[in-house]
Amino acid sequence: MSAAMTQTTAASPVKRRFDGKRIALTCVLAFGAFTMIVPFLWMILTSVKGPGELIEFPPTFWPKEWAWSNYAEALDAAPFATYFRNSFIIATGHTIITLIFGAMAGYALARIPFRGRELVFLGFIAMLMIPTYTKIVPQFLIVKFMPLFGGNDILGQGGSGWLNTWWALLIPGGLSPFAIFLFRQFYLSLPRELEEAARIDGLGEFRIWGQVYTPLIKPALATVALLTFQDSWNNFLWPLLVTTRDDLRVIQVGLAVFRQEETTQWAYLMAGSTLATIPMVLLFLVAQRYFIQGFTNAGIK
Amino acid sequence: MTSWTRRGAAALLAAATTSLVLAACGDDSETSSENGSGDGQVSGELTVLTPIFEGAEGKALLEEELLPQFYEQYPDVTVTVDYTDYGSLNEKLTTAVASGLVPDVMMMGVGWIEAFAENGILADLGELGITVDDLSEDFTPEILAGGVWQDDLYAIPIMLDTRFGIARKDLLAEAGFDEPPSSLEELREYAIALTERDSGGQLQRAGFDMLSMDLRQMYEVFLFAHGGSLFSEDFTEPTFNSPEGVAALQYLVDLMHEDRVEDIGFSSTDIDVHPLLNDRAAMAVGHNNLWIQLQEAAPELADQLVPFTITGSEPGMFFGGTLATVSAGSDHPEAAAALVEFLTGPEAALGANEQRGNVPARTELLDSEYVQNNPLVQFAMENLEIAQREGGVPQWLEIRGDFTPAIEAALLGEKTPQQALDDLAGEAREAMAR
Repeated sequence: MSAAMTQTTAASPVKRRFDGKRIALTCVLAFGAFTMIVPFLWMILTSVKGPGELIEFPPTFWPKEWAWSNYAEALDAAPFATYFRNSFIIATGHTIITLIFGAMAGYALARIPFRGRELVFLGFIAMLMIPTYTKIVPQFLIVKFMPLFGGNDILGQGGSGWLNTWWALLIPGGLSPFAIFLFRQFYLSLPRELEEAARIDGLGEFRIWGQVYTPLIKPALATVALLTFQDSWNNFLWPLLVTTRDDLRVIQVGLAVFRQEETTQWAYLMAGSTLATIPMVLLFLVAQRYFIQGFTNAGIK
Repeated sequence: MTSWTRRGAAALLAAATTSLVLAACGDDSETSSENGSGDGQVSGELTVLTPIFEGAEGKALLEEELLPQFYEQYPDVTVTVDYTDYGSLNEKLTTAVASGLVPDVMMMGVGWIEAFAENGILADLGELGITVDDLSEDFTPEILAGGVWQDDLYAIPIMLDTRFGIARKDLLAEAGFDEPPSSLEELREYAIALTERDSGGQLQRAGFDMLSMDLRQMYEVFLFAHGGSLFSEDFTEPTFNSPEGVAALQYLVDLMHEDRVEDIGFSSTDIDVHPLLNDRAAMAVGHNNLWIQLQEAAPELADQLVPFTITGSEPGMFFGGTLATVSAGSDHPEAAAALVEFLTGPEAALGANEQRGNVPARTELLDSEYVQNNPLVQFAMENLEIAQREGGVPQWLEIRGDFTPAIEAALLGEKTPQQALDDLAGEAREAMAR
């Protein structure tokens, strides 16, 4: 009993100190969360304000009248159902391509010794530094002169190549050097013993990648999947450049309708943006579980 | 974001220019023989790139109302439309040029024609039977000049974006002024009188708002009002750093820092609502489509907005706008020219302007119901004789990206107006020498 009492006495101040830190940490995190969520909340509340209320100064936070009709009117301004579908297909396609081929490339750079590996990796790092704008024209030309597509001959002449096709929307942005870099770093952090044990058991390279190492990098998979999906979902310029048909255009192109050179239809833009963020929020809610699971696994390991 | 985008766009354009030989080679070999049939009829499948007619409403106007009328006239022509926005138009054009897939008909802004005409991308409309003389009765000379490069016509205006002074009549009356200012001295006097600050010195109402408008365009209004110009008459030298140009920028700097009629950060081009509509400004340099915003958000102010020209040594008004062009490599130039004539004609142009709240370029449309019911557009049309445009040199798209940072530097006090404009002129000379 005496020992138990001593334990309790000794534990109490520690617990109090811990609680104090916890409260402070909670306050800091709550403040951080608040600053993060306010713009999002502002977007949603702006999306249901009427035009008269939008011009008030100081601006109102809570709408005086909820103009839900903004959503219907915004959706009427462009074929958003088609745009949503296209964005979803492209974002999902990019995510799948990245997860499969990015993981393979990252694994190869991390765990398979071959001549020039460091040079290839340096090449990927260099690609991270190239601004998107400088790549647009060459990338466009590659797509346009793609041999044997869109009426092109073997030399890529005579037709339109991949322009105005799903190929142009899915392939050029399908894989990013950043994803490969992330995967490589995660694969590097795993112990070599697993690979050696797998080889002794007679597993080939593909199975070591698919069955031994990749299941251990779920945090990386979830992170890369989320970032890729988000990046692809928000892509505006490339889909606009490589398509001329409305049935191939994406959600961000639809949102641009509300923003002209001199004016912005804020209520409609916010309504459209609110709808456009829903898939991202849902995806995060689903992927969050895997984040936690992945980190837990990493902790146990 | 805007200046970064424009720099990027300028870089893209430069890249595209180097690809023109490739594009031109592809186009020449593909010239079709199915153009004119000799009896005034034309045929062909046309592609059109447009930054206007955007959204479901614009698309319906173009494809359901206007193009069917065109097809009645030209039943053997079909038109496929590629919609974009102005923010991405340069990239669309650049990639199209670089790849050789240039649309038959392209719409672009005032100040863009020079670069694309210089690089051989646009067709000389004179060779297709449309001349400056033919159009001189329908447009004022300065408006028509926006489509002319080296004395040849390359584009026809559809709509104009104008910038001029706009004041709140009720706020002027409160301060004892019956009319908007008629001189720069009066503008300063009125702006000082109309500026309101609280007891702590916090600005409550700008006497004259300069920051809600793109700074380049806002400055150009004052440059023109001071009798200045962007370039020399032969377009070989920048002249915006002339004494007139420096005086114009000094005037703006003085309004900001000495007279304190507005504070840096009080407004911006990204602001939700124009400060004239919510009493945050009494006067401003405004755009004609402010009327559309007023009708939606504050119709009770319809009688209170009064436009005026910013007048110094001469009245200053700026115009940009959208023009229609034909590709030099079009397989169907006659059909494309017919479409350009149709789209810039009175009926189509009126519909396009009405949809965006813009100013019709054709003088005859002053009498239209749309113009007569829109005081800002009406004012702009009545003053088109004094309106001046930007551009004039093929490198304008590159130069204009450096303009706003230069004006900002002067307004922020980082440079004197003379330094800011001299540095900018140096960059412009470098661009023009390339």
